[in-house]
Amino acid sequence: MKTFSNSNARDFKQAAALVQQTQQQGRSAAFVGGGSDLLALVKERVIAPDVLVNLKTIKDLDQVRSVNGGVNIGGLITLDNLSRHDVSRRQYAVLAEAAETVATAQIRNVGTLAGNVCQRPWCWYFRNGFPCYKNGGSTCFSFAGENQFHAIFGGGPSYIVHPSDTAVALLALNATFRITGPAAERMLSAADFFALPQQNPARENVLAVDEALTEVILPALRAGTRSTYHKIMDREAWTHAVVSSAIVLEMENQVCRNVRIVLGGVAPIPWRVPEVERLLAGQRITEALAAKAAETAVEGAKPLAKNGYKVALTKGVVRRTLLELASRA
Amino acid sequence: MRQQRSTSTPLKAVGRATHRIDALERVTGKATYTNDFKLPGMLYARILRSPHPHAKINRIDVSKAMALPGVKTILTHENCKVVFGAGGISGGQQYNDDIKKITKHRRYVFNNPVRFVGDPIAAVAASTRHIAEEAVRLIQVEYDVLPFVLEPEDALKPGAVQIWPEGNLSLDAQNRTQPMTTRRGSVEDGFKSSDLVFEDRYTTAFVHNAQMEPRSCLAAWEGDKLTVYTPTQGISNCRSDMARDLEMPPEKVQVICQYMGGGFGNKNQNQDADLITAMLAKQAGTPVKLEFTRKDDFVGVHGRWPTVQYYKVGVSRDGELKAIQLRGYSGMGPYRKNTGSIGGIDIYQCPNIERVVYPVYTNKTVSGNFRGPEFPQGFYGIESMMDDVAYKLKMDPVDFILKNMTRKSNDQVPYTNYSLEECIRRGAEVFEWKKRWRPQPGSDPGPVKRGAGVSFMAFRSALGRSNAVVRLDAKGQYTVFVGVTDVGAGAKTTMALIAAEALDVPISKIQVVWGDTDRCPYSVGESGSRTTIQTGQAVKEAGEALKHQIAEKGLPTGQNVLVGSASPNPVLEGKVRAAFAAHFVEVEVDTELGHVRVLKYVTVHDSGRIMNPLTARSQIKGGAIMGIGMALHEDLVYDRRSGQPLTAGFYGARLMTHRDAPEIEVIFIESDDGYGPYGAKSIGESSKVPAVAAVANAVFNALGRRMKDLPITRDKILGAFA
Repeated sequence: MKTFSNSNARDFKQAAALVQQTQQQGRSAAFVGGGSDLLALVKERVIAPDVLVNLKTIKDLDQVRSVNGGVNIGGLITLDNLSRHDVSRRQYAVLAEAAETVATAQIRNVGTLAGNVCQRPWCWYFRNGFPCYKNGGSTCFSFAGENQFHAIFGGGPSYIVHPSDTAVALLALNATFRITGPAAERMLSAADFFALPQQNPARENVLAVDEALTEVILPALRAGTRSTYHKIMDREAWTHAVVSSAIVLEMENQVCRNVRIVLGGVAPIPWRVPEVERLLAGQRITEALAAKAAETAVEGAKPLAKNGYKVALTKGVVRRTLLELASRA
Repeated sequence: MRQQRSTSTPLKAVGRATHRIDALERVTGKATYTNDFKLPGMLYARILRSPHPHAKINRIDVSKAMALPGVKTILTHENCKVVFGAGGISGGQQYNDDIKKITKHRRYVFNNPVRFVGDPIAAVAASTRHIAEEAVRLIQVEYDVLPFVLEPEDALKPGAVQIWPEGNLSLDAQNRTQPMTTRRGSVEDGFKSSDLVFEDRYTTAFVHNAQMEPRSCLAAWEGDKLTVYTPTQGISNCRSDMARDLEMPPEKVQVICQYMGGGFGNKNQNQDADLITAMLAKQAGTPVKLEFTRKDDFVGVHGRWPTVQYYKVGVSRDGELKAIQLRGYSGMGPYRKNTGSIGGIDIYQCPNIERVVYPVYTNKTVSGNFRGPEFPQGFYGIESMMDDVAYKLKMDPVDFILKNMTRKSNDQVPYTNYSLEECIRRGAEVFEWKKRWRPQPGSDPGPVKRGAGVSFMAFRSALGRSNAVVRLDAKGQYTVFVGVTDVGAGAKTTMALIAAEALDVPISKIQVVWGDTDRCPYSVGESGSRTTIQTGQAVKEAGEALKHQIAEKGLPTGQNVLVGSASPNPVLEGKVRAAFAAHFVEVEVDTELGHVRVLKYVTVHDSGRIMNPLTARSQIKGGAIMGIGMALHEDLVYDRRSGQPLTAGFYGARLMTHRDAPEIEVIFIESDDGYGPYGAKSIGESSKVPAVAAVANAVFNALGRRMKDLPITRDKILGAFA
């Protein structure tokens, strides 16, 4: 019978070293935080690690610390705590709102920020064990199959959509990720963290197997910045985004000084739309401009046979969210 | 002749909002569900299911699995030839011994070839559940993978893969390959005499019962006596099914179901799980417990049959129905577990009717009983069709319904009471139909549009045989013995209320013994919405018999007891008994985001006299919410190239959550037609029957575009406006 052992980590370096050693012995290891995604994958036998390295025993990695006007958030903070935390609610509403939309209350009570950002795709072919790219194969079954929830941007050779709500918010906030490995740490911007399938169709980010996302660093936001997360769901709880948008908008005298717009549910990574950002910078956000922004957001979309509706949906989400956010007092 | 009263006179116990008598046990975790039972030496079982939609098994090698320490027994088609009788009934008829002699199609517990993804191939009993799971993975099977077919219309095309030698149209009980056909008058004449004739096609999806508790079973043998703990909606039927399939006398089978976590028709009778567990326990010589995962439950039992419905309707210019024709196809999976019928056209008054329904074998998961088996899908089809006809005639759908709805059953037999018109008029008034309904569908300006829809129903409320025993001891304790289980509707409490009423004692004096074939008399089981009207009637009569004895003999003393019993089998004198209802729904559709929100939902039901308003209201709300889920959310999506189900489970099938459920307003028109206990009629299934159509019609009224394929998901709404 396939068994696994559990190893409680003292700190991240030690945890990473343990994973590295296990790999070197020809066995597989996985980090476990809240475990809400990992254990489901183990139970469904999508993965079969020999060693689970438990990160929950590491102290103080669920803290929110103010640093230089910005904030550092420990990767092990639960989604529930993140969604209720004063700092995130007041300064980084987009992140608190994104965390609040994840799954169910039960999952948010155990699921962590890092785990949410790093969770595996919810493509039904992957989760049902089809031998797809994500399961080590060399086919994407969605491409010519049931692709109503799949990517309209950035697809190929895999067409999954990135499942994380918080990842969309973090990219919109221009976050930096602290990555800890057995030997060293590295800092990566959120933009460099996520990887398209054309880079590596088996994974969704650049983490090595013995690296973990340990901390998220959010820069200070200028005065006049407001943000929001809008998630389209097929029911009111326990579902991933069909399409979502995270918008961080800096307003000055009713003019958009600067904006970052990131879309979820449309691409294998959180999908930033820089052309829209350029279009809006320095402009007053009117109905007409918001409509133009929505059109621009879907330029270059390549829908598959059954997900064409996502193009219209994305337009609607961008237009509505922009107008709603810009009109806030 | 019995007296019919349009309103019921108040009673003492019946009709009072009463908390469930077992509420405390349920919410404190004391209630013993099947999976809570453990027996000494008990083994755990798991099932290996077919990964292919259609395949011939060439070889099964269980040697590696048997060699795993802790594995005790493995069953496959090679060492088990038991027929799963209730799993493949012929022509929709019960698989009794007469039918068994005639029919050709056999569904075995383990089949070869396997015919759907999820068809059981082997079952393992081992000392722990983990060893059993591992052993399942060590069973090596060599397959000849066969071509497969998923859709019923495709399955009837020439050249389609043949799932059974006789073809893909399911045989009837006499082994004939012909569709189910009913005719009245002549539709040809009806269409000739019509001013206008409309035709359309509607489809509905497979939806799973999705009850909270998946199947599980614990079986133990003592000599030649079998005891089965299982969540069944009918302990008596389960017992007779087990006895028939295992070729044992029924009195040697004891079925126990104390508490269960819902069923909605998923747990009628016995299931292959029960047979597998019993056979494993026999072979292992020790008790065995089988537990289904959620995925086992979604693909391995059954759900509502998907349908394709072609309608042709003829009307006069002033909106009088002249002819209704339905040609329908029902996807039954590879075994016919229920009729596959498509109900609904009978609720219109029309001289010329023709219904031809093809129950078709496919390589999808099996279809079977689910809350009003053939009605929610059929009512969606016909009531969408009629709503559309009314629109095309520029008629208010409420007026069209009032003009054409059933007044007599099948236009011939009178109902025991008739309140359908009152349901519709009352509902329209409370709902403020004239205010909410858009005479010009889709006319709201802007992307967010509102609309209102209506649907109605008449649902069989048949009488029938049942039994009950009521005992009084010297301490003044009354005990009711009934062969019911509580599928969730609160049957135990209802039985106690009826006994309290009949005996004229407080409900606190009444204890109910249920859910054990060795302790309780026969009951039809919790299917067909008939526990209250049938077993409830027996409880009433048994209570009255006991009261009569008390009057004659005085109260019992010492060790003495008094016992009243009843086995009524009431019949209707040339009448049909039906529950009636109308549902009114207002929706808001965001055409830019493709989102549907139910804003207002009013139901008016005549279910006769209401025994317990608390649980009765929950029944109506639950059915309406399920209807919304079927209309807008649920589907078992298949990968067309591999025949694999992709959305098995609560996450994938997008079941409604509490946050999705709107407020449902429930109005009862209480009647007493003189039948049933104090005039009770059926409730449970009926509330889902009109719900799907009411929601779909509201979506049409908001959009001005008819959504003809369920579920009405975001892609379809956005597609209609693309």
